[in-house]
This record gives sequence, structure tokens and C-alpha cells, in this order.
Amino acid sequence: MRQGKYPFIFGFLAAPVTLYVVFVIWPYIQAFQISLTNWNGFSAPKYIGLDNFKNLFSDDNFVAAVEHHVVMLIALPLVTVMIALFFSFLLNLGGKLQGGQLRGVRGANLYKVIFFLPQVLAVAIVGVLFQTIYQKGDGTNVPDGVINGLLHAVHLPTIGFITNPAVALWSMIGVMVWQAVGFYVVLFSAGMASIPKDLFEAAALDGAGRFTLFFKVTLPLLWDTLQVGWIYLGVAAFDGFAIVQVLSIDNGGPNHSTTVLPLEIYRNAFTYSKFGYASAMGVVLFFMTLTFAALTMRVTRRDSIEF
Amino acid sequence: MAQIVLQDVDKIYAGGVKAVDALSLEIRDGEFMVLVGPSGCGKSTALRMIAGLEDISGGTVSIGERVVNDLAPKDRDIAMVFQNYALYPHMTVEDNLAFGLKLRGTPKPEIKKRVADAAKMLGLEPYLKRKPAALSGGQRQRVAMGRAIVREPQAFLMDEPLSNLDAKLRVSMRASLNQLHERLGVTTVYVTHDQVEAMTLGDRVCVLRDGKLQQVDTPQRLFDAPVNLFVAGFIGSPSMNFVTAKLERDGVSFAGFKLPVPADVFETKPGLSGYAGKEIILGIRPSDFEDAAHAKPDWALIDVTSTVTEELGSEINVIFAIDAPPVEHKDTLALAKDATEGEEEETAIPLLDNKALWTARVNARSRVRPGQSLELAIDTHSMHFFDPESGLAIGHPDTPRV
Repeated sequence: MRQGKYPFIFGFLAAPVTLYVVFVIWPYIQAFQISLTNWNGFSAPKYIGLDNFKNLFSDDNFVAAVEHHVVMLIALPLVTVMIALFFSFLLNLGGKLQGGQLRGVRGANLYKVIFFLPQVLAVAIVGVLFQTIYQKGDGTNVPDGVINGLLHAVHLPTIGFITNPAVALWSMIGVMVWQAVGFYVVLFSAGMASIPKDLFEAAALDGAGRFTLFFKVTLPLLWDTLQVGWIYLGVAAFDGFAIVQVLSIDNGGPNHSTTVLPLEIYRNAFTYSKFGYASAMGVVLFFMTLTFAALTMRVTRRDSIEF
Repeated sequence: MAQIVLQDVDKIYAGGVKAVDALSLEIRDGEFMVLVGPSGCGKSTALRMIAGLEDISGGTVSIGERVVNDLAPKDRDIAMVFQNYALYPHMTVEDNLAFGLKLRGTPKPEIKKRVADAAKMLGLEPYLKRKPAALSGGQRQRVAMGRAIVREPQAFLMDEPLSNLDAKLRVSMRASLNQLHERLGVTTVYVTHDQVEAMTLGDRVCVLRDGKLQQVDTPQRLFDAPVNLFVAGFIGSPSMNFVTAKLERDGVSFAGFKLPVPADVFETKPGLSGYAGKEIILGIRPSDFEDAAHAKPDWALIDVTSTVTEELGSEINVIFAIDAPPVEHKDTLALAKDATEGEEEETAIPLLDNKALWTARVNARSRVRPGQSLELAIDTHSMHFFDPESGLAIGHPDTPRV
């Protein structure tokens, strides 16, 4: 083994590293390069220094997109993690002590499947689905969607979920949460399953109710999983392209109230042919995501827990 | 402190497996009761039912006059020590100790005092600020004990608390446990599969098998007067030697030997004389053998050839074959199966010509070597007689007279 160590390691690494360099690292480098040019995709690019980056600050659409990401960055992980934690706690430990083991609520396995279902749907389908669910009727030709139908039935004013600029972004976030929760329920369930059962038993003997069990025992022991989930969701909050593209009116409308950076990049590159400018946005997005991940890791760092 | 009473307690799992079968047991106030038995005998299940971690399928469990069947574990006022300690890994030792008290709303100064007392008692003071991951196995075990002690509960329940420690530490922890119980005097129920632990720790020992109670008594009484073949074989190490023998008024004969049965044995075991002329199962403990040169003059003598010797320093275990087949009773088979961890095919030592192997524990001064012939003396007053059908000890006060 010793003798052939390096050829052996190299043999395994060659293919994935090559793929990664060609399809990930190299495009990144290219994007950095293009962001310094005024390339329009057709004529030869000309270096214009940092002009693209300067222009970003006076671009209302860009600023709006960044603001939306800030909102999503706070709302998406927070809401998703809270709901997912609550569900996975109920599914795994919410039931009564039975046969010496803490079980989930009745029908926990069925709920797991139901919660996970949105995850397997394609985003485009989810978008179309929610267009119908969110739809606001005009009283004549267009009928109310599911939610507005219910609101109407109880004589509440209907809401323009995707047409009202004040609400539209939250409607997008709602769909993203709905789609993400199932995955995090499964992730946290796996985390909870890895906590030794006798810890919960010891806590039960110590006099912990469900509330204490959750906050004082389960949550601290789930911290690592939670951190991973938070970062995933944070990264997802920098995306949102597909759902906004499919669900929002005017691709990020109304009036850019739901636009996100990937959408702006896409629009600048492929609609306006401003590849240099779009690349500059991409570079900014890259650094924002990186900063977020590093910061989260840093802030939430704790001693790792051994059982 | 309180007594714990189990009345006809059953545990039936889904699928009809009866883990505990009509167990009735009275654990006195301040007593150290050990539940012992081979794996799967229901001892842990019984303990967990007392703790409230398992539902009780039938019968009642009461702790200090109060029937606790429907009480949540936290309301039973008991503390449990788990096999894997179950310390909260994210809390310091101090917080681990204080957690139960905090949840019960004990005033802060009181918590501080109790934690300090327990830490002092268990020698945990230097480690109070550490997390469990930074402790050794023995220290974690002590923290787990401390967590039970600070609660000052009515009873301690311990589920094989020493089984994860290495052999030497286990012996010293055993002594500490004994001391602790002496000092605190709290009713303790202790589960173990290790009969040495059971014998050394228990005020009384309860032997379980297949969820059924076999015998409850002091360790010495269990050793001297086992109620059936199972208990006889389970308690004591090396375990008791068995042989199918023929009983006569003047003695018992097996494998070409004839041992006299003293008259007082017939007197102390009523019903034994009724077996005269019939077959019985004879049991002799290894410790009731001695090298003839070092034995009392009135012990009966037999000549054997040693097959294997185990020199333990202070004594020698002499293993020898006798000219009789091994006893095949359901009780002894169950024991053999347990000894080989449930693998039915293999026995510990392959038998030579289907001859039973016996063990004698003799004085180290006899210097016996493998293959040597040896004259062994047997304490005939301590022979055990069992009914070959039922496996029950003949003339035992706890068994129905035949």
C-alpha cells in the first residue's frame, strides 16, 4: 500500500477534481474576468475596470433584489427551521412513552411522507400549483384560488397574493418554506434518532416535561444538525430564482417587488445581453453567500458533542 | 425512603411475548435488592416498569404504600442509574447533577448544597466544570450516581451500572456502591447479569428466569439452599456439578462412586427419604471438594484423574471427567445455552465420550497437575438433591413437599 500510495490517491481524485475544476472553478474565474468587461456576448469584450460594480449601486433593481435577499435570509431559515423542528419533535418524541420508548404522535410515519411530498415536486409544478392556490378572482371570469375562496367564504377581504407588491415577496417566501419544511423534518428527525434514547428517559425521570425536554435536552443535542440546516437555508435564500420566475408576475414583479439576484443576472445576461454587468452581479452574489456561510459557522460555533 | 411492592406484575409485549410473568416481590424499606438472571430473563423490564419507563401489562407496582401504575416516571420519586450513564453531554458535571433539582423548583442555595455534598461524597469536586466527554468511564459512572443521590429519592433503580467499566474498576466501584448504600440507606433495586455482583452487593437477591421469579433470598441462602437446578447452576462460580445418581438409605451412587449420606441430611431435607431407591439429580459445589490431604478427616473420598487445572494462586480449579453422562434437564440446558450466548451447537468444552466434566476447587498447596490422579474429599453434608422430573430441590422449605 505504501508504495503505490500517491498513484492510488491520484487515481481516485483525478476524475472528480477535473470535473470540478472545469465546470465549477473555471467558470468562476471566467465570471470574475467577464465582470471587468463590457462584453455583450457578441463583440469582443473590452476591459472597463470596476465600472460594472459602480453601476450596481445606482441600479434600483439590484438594490431591491439585495433587500429581498436580506428579508429572505432572515425569514426563510427562521420560519422553516422553527416549523421543521416543531414537526420533527412531534413526529419523534411527541407521543407518549410506549413500550419503554418515546414515540411520535399517532400516524407519525404517514405525516413524514406527507411533509416530504413537496420536496419531490419540481419547482415549476409547485409554482403553477401556487398560482392557482394564490389566485385572486375578479368577481367575473377569474375565480378565487383556494385561500381567497376560504377568505371569501368567511367574509374577509381577499388578498392579492402575487399582485399586491406589499404581499408578493411574502407569498414567494411562503412557497419556499412550504417546499423546504419536509426535507428539514427528515433531517432533524435523523438528528433526533441519533440521540440515545436513555437520555430522554433520564430527562423524563428528572422531571422534564415536553417543553423542557425540547429546549433543554433535544435542541442543544441537535445543534450541529441545526447549524447545517441553517446554512443550507441561508444559501437557498440567496437563490429563489425558479419559484420567482414561475410564480411571480412579470418575472420578479409586480414592479420588481419580488425580484432576486439570480433573476436579475439572468435578465441582464440573456434578455439585455449585458454579460459583463450580469457577471458583476454574480461576483457580488458569490461573496455575499460566502460571507453568510462563514459568519454563520463562526457565530454558531459550539463545542461539538460526543455521546 | 420506602418499600417497593410488585404484585403479580406482568409485561406482555406486542406479539404476545411475556417478558415478565406474574412477578411478585417485596423490597423492604432500605433494602438493597438485586435482580439477577441470564440475558432476556426480564430483569431490566421489571426495573423499567418500576421506573415507569415501561407500561405495566398486569398487576400492580407500589412504591411506599402508593400504587404507581399510572404515575409518570417523574412523579414516582425514584432515581435511576443507566447502563450507559445517560449524562447530558451538553451540560457540565455540575449542571448534570443540578438538572433534576432545577426542574423540581428546588431553591438555589439548596441545590448548591446538595450538589456540593454529592460531589464531595463521590470525589467529583475537581470535575464539576467539565463536560462528560472529558471524563473517564469511572468518573462518568460517579456522575450518574451523583445525579441520583442529589435528588434524595425514595428509591434508587440501577440498570447494570457497572457493566461498562473494566474489571478492576468494577470491583472498586462495587465496594463504593456498598459503602454508599450503607451510608444513605435508600431502598435500591439493582439489575445485573453478573452473579458475583449480585452476591456481593445484595442484601437479598432475586433470581429471574424467562420472566418468572425463581428464588428470592440472601446471597448465602441462595448459595447454600438453591430452590431448583436453575438457581443452583446459576449462582456460584464455577457452577455446581450435577450428575444423575441413585439414592439409597445409606448413600448415593453415581459413576462408580458411592458417597454416604449423613443421617442429619435426611432429617433436614424432609421428603428426601421418600426418594430412597429412586433416581435423583445430585449437585455438589466445587467448593465442597478438597484435596484429601488437606480435608477434614470425616469427608468422603473419591479417586479422580484431573483433565485440566486452573491455578488461581490461592486455589486450584481441578476439572475432571466422571464416568457418567452430563445431566440433560431443561434447567441445566438453559444454563449451558446462556453460557455460550445462545449458540446451541457449541458447548464450552467438547465432551470426551459423553462424560460429564466436573470442577473441584482445592487448596493451592495440593499442587495438582493435569493428568495426575488425585484423591478428593467431599463435604457430604452440603450435597444438593434435586427431583429429576421437576428440577426442584428436594426438601427445600420453599418447594411444595412431595
